[in-house]
Amino acid sequence: MDLVLTPEDIAFRDEVRAFLKENVTDDMRRAGALTAGFLDDPEVAIDFHKVLYEKGWVAPHWPKEYGGTGWTPVQRNIFENECARAGAPSYNGMARQFVGPMLMRYGSQEQKDFFLPRILKGEDHWCQGYSEPGSGSDLASLKTKAESDGDDYIVNGQKIWTTHAHKSNRIFALVRTSSEGKKQAGITFLLMEMETPGITVRPIIGNGGDHEFNEVFFDNVRTPKSGRVGEENQGWEIAKYLLEFERGGAPSAGKVRSRFRKLAAAAKKYCPDDPDMASRIAELGIDIDAMEMLEIKDLSERQMGGNPGPVSSLLKLRWSQIRQETTELMLDVVGADALRWAPERPLYEALQLPREEEELLSLGPRYMNYRAYTILGGTSEIQTTILAKTMLGL
Amino acid sequence: MDLQYDTEHNLLRDSAEKFLAERYGYKTFQEISSSEAGWSPEIWAEIAELGWLGLPFSEEDGGFGGGPVETSLIMEAMGKNLVIEPYLPTVVLAGGVVAALGSAEQKQGILAEVAAGESRLAFAYQDGDTPVTASRQGDDYVLSGTKKAVLGAPMADMLFVSAQEGPNTVVFGMPSKLKGITRRSYRMMDGPRAADIEFNDVTLPAGSRMGDKEDASAEIAFVLDAAIAAVSADAVGAIEAMVAQTVEYTSTRQQFGQPLSKFQVLAHRMVEMKVREEEARASALLATLSLDGAPERRVRAVSGAKAKIGRNARFVHQAAIQTHGAIGTTDELSLGGYAKRLVAYEINFGSTREHLRRYSALIADPEIAGSGLMLDPAAA
Repeated sequence: MDLVLTPEDIAFRDEVRAFLKENVTDDMRRAGALTAGFLDDPEVAIDFHKVLYEKGWVAPHWPKEYGGTGWTPVQRNIFENECARAGAPSYNGMARQFVGPMLMRYGSQEQKDFFLPRILKGEDHWCQGYSEPGSGSDLASLKTKAESDGDDYIVNGQKIWTTHAHKSNRIFALVRTSSEGKKQAGITFLLMEMETPGITVRPIIGNGGDHEFNEVFFDNVRTPKSGRVGEENQGWEIAKYLLEFERGGAPSAGKVRSRFRKLAAAAKKYCPDDPDMASRIAELGIDIDAMEMLEIKDLSERQMGGNPGPVSSLLKLRWSQIRQETTELMLDVVGADALRWAPERPLYEALQLPREEEELLSLGPRYMNYRAYTILGGTSEIQTTILAKTMLGL
Repeated sequence: MDLQYDTEHNLLRDSAEKFLAERYGYKTFQEISSSEAGWSPEIWAEIAELGWLGLPFSEEDGGFGGGPVETSLIMEAMGKNLVIEPYLPTVVLAGGVVAALGSAEQKQGILAEVAAGESRLAFAYQDGDTPVTASRQGDDYVLSGTKKAVLGAPMADMLFVSAQEGPNTVVFGMPSKLKGITRRSYRMMDGPRAADIEFNDVTLPAGSRMGDKEDASAEIAFVLDAAIAAVSADAVGAIEAMVAQTVEYTSTRQQFGQPLSKFQVLAHRMVEMKVREEEARASALLATLSLDGAPERRVRAVSGAKAKIGRNARFVHQAAIQTHGAIGTTDELSLGGYAKRLVAYEINFGSTREHLRRYSALIADPEIAGSGLMLDPAAA
C-alpha cells in the first residue's frame, strides 16, 4: 500500500499540465476566480470544453465505448486536481456528471445515441428539475403532473431552485404520473426541451448577488414520451441513482485545495503572526487531508463509471462543510477588505481593477453563495438521515 | 497509488482480531491493569508465538520484514481490545530506535530476543528536571540526569536512553537493573505502566552506544513519528469499538416505548460519531503510509493525523458516554476503558495543540497547503 504515483502517472500528470498550460487562458482563469457561485458560466466554459472535446478529454469518467478516456481512477483524479490547480473552467458538469451516466444505465438505445454525443460536443446545456415549492427535502412528495395523451405527456406544475435553467436548452425532471400507492412509486423521469411552449423561467437572485437559481413553470406543456427515461413510474429509482453522483461523484479535493491554497496565501499577507488564525486554518487543513484520503480511498475501490455508492453521502456532508469553512475563514482572515461589495454580475465583466483587488470583491458573494452547499443536493440533515441507514443500519 | 489491503494484510488483521477477541477484552484488561505487574507473561508469550513481536524488524535481524501497515493492523486490534502489554514501548519505540540506529551486531542481538518474547524494552526520550547527559571516561560513558513518563519502563529488561553528548543527541542501551538507575514506577490513567527514571553516574561500556552516528536526532524524530502513527491506529480501534457499542446499546435500550436509536437526535449524533471514525481511520492510514516519505511529508501527515484523531477521539468518547446515559459513567461497561485510552492518546507524544502548531508551521506555505496527498516518487 502506498500513496506514491507511478512513473506512468507522473508522465500523465505532466502531459495534462502541459495541455492545461497551453489551453487555459488568462481570461478563463480570471473569470473562474471572479465567479462566486457554484458553477462556471457556460459562456466562459464552452470554449475550453471544445478544446477538451477535440482532445477527447471531455468525459474522463465515462466508459470508453461512450466517448470516455479509459483512464484509471488515479488518472481521473490527477486530471481533476490539475484542472482545479490550473483554474480550468467546467462546462455543464450536470450533463457530464449526472445525465450521461444515468442514460448509460437507464436510457434507451435511441436516447443514448442522440444525447450522449451532444453532451460530449457541448451542444446541449442541461438543468435539473427536481425540487418544487412544496417538495424540498421531501422530494418524493412532488406534484408536477404529467398526463398521458397519445405519444405525448401534458405537463403542469412548477419546479424551483433550478440551477442555470436560464442558460439551459434541456431539462431532466421528475414528474408525477400516478398518485396510487407510495408517493415514490408514481414518479417518472422525463427529458424536455426548454424551448417547448408553456415552459417559463423566472430568476431567483441569491443573497450573494448571483443569478444561478430559477423557478421553472410548466403550463400545459406538450412533450413527447420519447423523452421518458426508463419505464413510467420508475423515476424515483433513477433519481436516487443520479443523486449519488451529485453527492459524491466528482472528486472535490482538487477544487477545495485550490481554495485552501488561496486562504493560506491570504493569511500570509493579512495575518502572518496571528496564532489563533493559524490554528483555525490548520484545523481546516487536517479536515481536508482526512477527506482527500477518504476520497482517494473510495476512488481506488471503485470501478470506472461505476456508482459511487453510500460513501457519497459522507463525502457530500463533509466537503460541503469544508467548502463553507474555507469561505468563512477567508472573510475572517481578510477582514474589512472583504466587505467591499459590487452588485453587478458577472464580476469578470463588470470589474476593471487590479487583479488582487478584483478578487476581494468575490469573497463576500462567495461566502453567501456557499451557504447553499449544505442545502443543495439533499441537506446535511438529509445526508445524515441517509447515513444513519446506510452506515449504521438504523 | 494503492490503498487496498492485500490478502496477507487481511489475514493478519483477522488473526489478530480473532486471537484478542478470544484471549483479551474488558475483563482481562481489568484483571491485568489492576495486577501488581501490569502485564501478562502468558499473553506476551502467546503474541511472541504469533510473530507480532518481530513483525516490523528485518529478517536478518530476526524479524519478519513487516512495515508500518502491518504494525498499524496489530495496533488497531490492540486498541479495540484494550491490550496494555508493552508492545508499543518494546517493538515500536525502543525496537524502532535499535532498528534505526543500532550496529548490525546490536540489532541482531537485541531484536532477536525481542522477537522471541524474551526481552521487553523501553525508550526514555523525555527529559525530567535534569536533562540526561553523557560524558566519556576512558573507554566508558557516564550517564546522569532524569527521564520522565517512560512507557513500559517498569517491566523493561533493557532501557534505551537519549542523552546529550556535547552538542549531539545519542542513544544508549543498557540493562534496566544497573547500578545508579532508579525507577519510580506508576500506573497510567488508561492502564499501562510507566516510570520516571533517575540516572546517577551510570557507567556504561562504549558498546552501549547505539550505532556510530554522531547525532541521532533525525532517527529519534522518525521513531517518535512512527510511534504516533502506531498509536493513531490503536486509537482508531478504540473509536471503532465505542461507536459500535453505542449503536448496539441504543438499538436495544427502550425508553418511551421504543429503542433509543429511533430518536433522530441520537441517530444523528451517532452518524457524526461514525463519520469521525471514518475520518480518523483515513488520517491514521495517511500517517502510516507517509512514514517512509520525505521528512516534511511525514511530519505533515503525522502531526495532522495526531491533531485530527485527537479531536475526533474526544468527540467520540464524550458522545458515547452521553448517549449511553447513566450506565455510560460506570466501570461496568468497557466504555470507560476506551475513553481513558483515548484521553491518553490525546496527551501522549505531544498534545493536539502541539501537533496543530507543527502542522500549521508547514502549511503556512501556500504551496504546501495547496498540494494534494498523492506523492511524486521524486519527492517521496
